[in-house]
Amino acid sequence: MKVRSDILRTYQGVHTWTGIIAGLVLFIGFYAGSLTMFKHEIQQWAAPLQASKVTVENYDYQPLVDAAIAEKPVQLAKGFSLDLHTEDAPLSWYVKGGPRGMHLDNELQTAYLSAKGQLTIEQQTENKLADLVDYLHRTAGIAGEIGHDQSGVYVLGIASVLYFLALVSGVIILLPTLVKTFFALRKEKGPSRFWLDSHNLIGIASLPFHLVIAFTVVVFAFHDFIYGGLAQFYGDKPLFERTPPAAQSYHIKDLPRINEQILAAKNYAPGYTPIHVRYSNLNSATPSAVFMMSNKQAVVRGPVTDYLFMNPYTLEVVNSSYPQGDESIWGNMVASIFSLHFGTYGGEWGRWGYFIMGLLGAFLFYSGNLLWIDKRFKKDPTKRSTLFMAKLTIGVCLGSMLAVVSTLITAKWLPSIVANTNYGTLICYYAVFFVFVGFTFVKGTSRASALGLYLLAALCAIMVISSFVILLTTHNGFALYSSYLVDAVAMIFSVIFFALAKRNQRKAEPDRIMPSFNKLSQA
Amino acid sequence: MTRPQKYQPTWLGKTFAGALLGLALAFILIAFFAWYGPGGIDARDKVQFNMWMIPPLWLSIFSFTYLFNSAKQAWLLLGGLTVLLYTGFFMLRGGL
Repeated sequence: MKVRSDILRTYQGVHTWTGIIAGLVLFIGFYAGSLTMFKHEIQQWAAPLQASKVTVENYDYQPLVDAAIAEKPVQLAKGFSLDLHTEDAPLSWYVKGGPRGMHLDNELQTAYLSAKGQLTIEQQTENKLADLVDYLHRTAGIAGEIGHDQSGVYVLGIASVLYFLALVSGVIILLPTLVKTFFALRKEKGPSRFWLDSHNLIGIASLPFHLVIAFTVVVFAFHDFIYGGLAQFYGDKPLFERTPPAAQSYHIKDLPRINEQILAAKNYAPGYTPIHVRYSNLNSATPSAVFMMSNKQAVVRGPVTDYLFMNPYTLEVVNSSYPQGDESIWGNMVASIFSLHFGTYGGEWGRWGYFIMGLLGAFLFYSGNLLWIDKRFKKDPTKRSTLFMAKLTIGVCLGSMLAVVSTLITAKWLPSIVANTNYGTLICYYAVFFVFVGFTFVKGTSRASALGLYLLAALCAIMVISSFVILLTTHNGFALYSSYLVDAVAMIFSVIFFALAKRNQRKAEPDRIMPSFNKLSQA
Repeated sequence: MTRPQKYQPTWLGKTFAGALLGLALAFILIAFFAWYGPGGIDARDKVQFNMWMIPPLWLSIFSFTYLFNSAKQAWLLLGGLTVLLYTGFFMLRGGL
């Protein structure tokens, strides 16, 4: 397809500048997003749950709930969670903090019935590793809060606007040569051409995924403002109908039997099984029970499961994230967009697909930055800004990956030293990240990338070694261990990083995309 | 046929036109869709869909703004369309 050359040049400019501004935060957002696909597995790997205390099959939760309510009526009326799927203590409630937001010192009390039917309550600090991975994904690690949201969320929202522009402009500048060179990976024409070809191939091949991610992130970051704007056009119409609170207040002693509630939740739609219930405000006129409903055969609209909102006293379903039939075609469409971002529409294969697409996305931003540096360096090898960007790219990309792997290892070993691991893991992330960025700026890009890749390979291997050391030293460890998959993936990445490090070391100067900046560094 | 105008990059002007007028246009197009589109204003959950559609509309207009020959042309065309649609909406609904 022909595009006028002056338009092409403008879009080249748009692509370059939007990409270089937004690329680094998006790199972190993408590979951390890949990890969030398996965040619960990762947390389970780092801090495995204790030995089984109840059997799941046909377990009657009623005696446990009754005993707990009798023991702690006020605490439980505020809210509690009942896990219908776990082999650990199924009942838990917060004595400090709450389920929403990023609180690193949440204290949970968990309860189970001992073999003799005795209520046993234990207190523990909630492990937030899965939430920390999620936090890194949503904020790129940019700390601080604006309003009720983390400021990093807004930064990524703005970065995603630029990302959308970069995607469209990237396609436009490719149009003239797209048909001829789509599958061409030209190695013989030098490293820049090879990197450019891979950048283009990945970008075009996963374009729909990227367009969806770009605009959904904008919505996630700014939906409050957009609703605010939209309200102006709705005149006197309220945007949302509020369900009026019930006339009378409820009390926890009247809570219907758990089995009745589960049955009501199951009867709402066939095929869905409740796996988790969260109660709140039980002593009020607005009590709620949120059921996490699992259905392996259907497209799921939440990050992990579908949701059902019920008044636990009347057993009336107030709302749900289910497909709603013809009456709510709009709700269905919105729910589908959610699942397009979360990658929950394709079961296990979909999860792995999104894991790989996320990593390829991270590669897209990394290669984009390298191409920019390469081009600018060839034009003017003494430009300080090029050197700065080169150092920042290597420092941030390798640094944040190193930081995550170190954090996972820390999270694995810390529980044997301190009770609350959340602060330790958070500090570890930032410490490793900033030390490596600093190292890159002091020692230069070639030494940093060589060291960084070897370190990554070593740390991934240490993940696996840690698992085995801990397993060997725990009584009956192997029998209860379920995280072999995490170790296997860590092993694969260790090999990949080692191969990359070797290649990087072997390559002669003209075969590298990243210039060595020798003259500049000495100047 | 008029002679094709010379293409000017005029970066900043086009960027602002795309960012601001693109957003204003996205809102008003969705406003029409909300009131006069399928289901009308009262359709269940439609407000969520409407909100979701604003960013992709906005970003699409934004990213194609650089096709205009100049910033002035972008502002005139997008601005004219914005004024026209807002006036139309105002007359139909008797206020925002």
